[in-house]
Amino acid sequence: MNAMLHEANPVDAAPLEARGLTHCYEGGNVLCGVDLALQPGSVLGLIGRNGAGKSTLIRGMLGLLEPLSGAAFVFGEPALKLSDPAKARLAYVPQQPEALAWLTAQQMLDYVGRFYPRWDAAFVRTTLERWKIQPNKLLAKLSPGERQRVDLIRALASQPELLVLDEPAAALDPVARRELLREVALRAGENGTTVLFSTHIVSDLERVASEIAFLHEGRLLLRCGVDEAKERYARLWLPAAASFTAPIPSLSRRRHDDGSLSLVVARDARGHWPEAASLPGARVDALGLEDLFVEIAE
Amino acid sequence: MDASLLTVQPAAPEPIYRQIVEQLRRLIAGGQLVAGELLPSVREVAGFHAINPMTVSRAYGLAESEGLLERLRGKGMVVAATRRAGQSESQRLALLEQQLVAVARHAAELELPAEAVLNRLGRLMRSRE
Repeated sequence: MNAMLHEANPVDAAPLEARGLTHCYEGGNVLCGVDLALQPGSVLGLIGRNGAGKSTLIRGMLGLLEPLSGAAFVFGEPALKLSDPAKARLAYVPQQPEALAWLTAQQMLDYVGRFYPRWDAAFVRTTLERWKIQPNKLLAKLSPGERQRVDLIRALASQPELLVLDEPAAALDPVARRELLREVALRAGENGTTVLFSTHIVSDLERVASEIAFLHEGRLLLRCGVDEAKERYARLWLPAAASFTAPIPSLSRRRHDDGSLSLVVARDARGHWPEAASLPGARVDALGLEDLFVEIAE
Repeated sequence: MDASLLTVQPAAPEPIYRQIVEQLRRLIAGGQLVAGELLPSVREVAGFHAINPMTVSRAYGLAESEGLLERLRGKGMVVAATRRAGQSESQRLALLEQQLVAVARHAAELELPAEAVLNRLGRLMRSRE
């Protein structure tokens, strides 16, 4: 029923949405009812430890695996039954691309380019050269990093409305990584491209993401704007003497050997820190995103 | 002004848009940016630093609402006319307050006497002149 309503309003639909997505593998890697919707033109950085379920979530949202329960939608269409026009508006780069390995990079790009109405052949030419890919080598003979770079070129050249990248940074050296981030940032800002990318390099995410979603053990622990995450949360440190006061609402708490206490706390609606922040000896330290994640994921 | 005049530290606890506003404030207070000077476009800043254009727009918007910048139709953002290099010393000093508080705290943690810290700071400042 929901899917029907969605199809009736494709203009208002989120470019990508998961509703109650639940999945498990034999090994026990699980998604537990993840709800996640992307607004048009937003850049969502998905972060989480290895094995947190990031790739599974991405594959589930794109309809590349059938979830145990819940549903996913791409441009308002059920992800498992995506139409060809919707597929042409979408580009996905998996962590380890394997398709069409018997072709050379150039052949593959020429071939898939025919399926995309807005294919940018000039971008393909210049980027192959800049990212040092030999166009006439078989994809099967390229290193995993080179394979992913070819796939990134394929994805960007199709000028998608929705771009989904699974750990794109792993394959690129710092210069090429910066180029990719620039492409992603400008396309989102100027063409309204919606982007979902997973990464473990938090500073990449801090540059280009407008929002972050933090996946931990199959659940979304945190979903907010990047700026908001930095302004709203901090680490409150209390010396041992002050640390046994009334309970303090916090995202995480860590007792140190000397009895002192570290808490991740949030500002209230009026922008104030919890009262404990004014206890004698208490200290509030601003947190970068990386510290924030380390604190709440432990 | 060129986009390279700004520095961006993505990993710092301070959001990037605030870093940009803070730098504009200092550059204007210090006279490196003068009234009427044209700022780089949102695209130039975003492209140069590989950051989200919305972050730059947000920074420019905030700087505009604080009266640091003005939007000139068809031209872009310029340094506002009312803000001249000649801010009072106490106004310029107020811009350093955050860093000074941090230094004072670290110095106390290290049990350093004020004279030693001030001495060193004085030498650092004189060596830049």
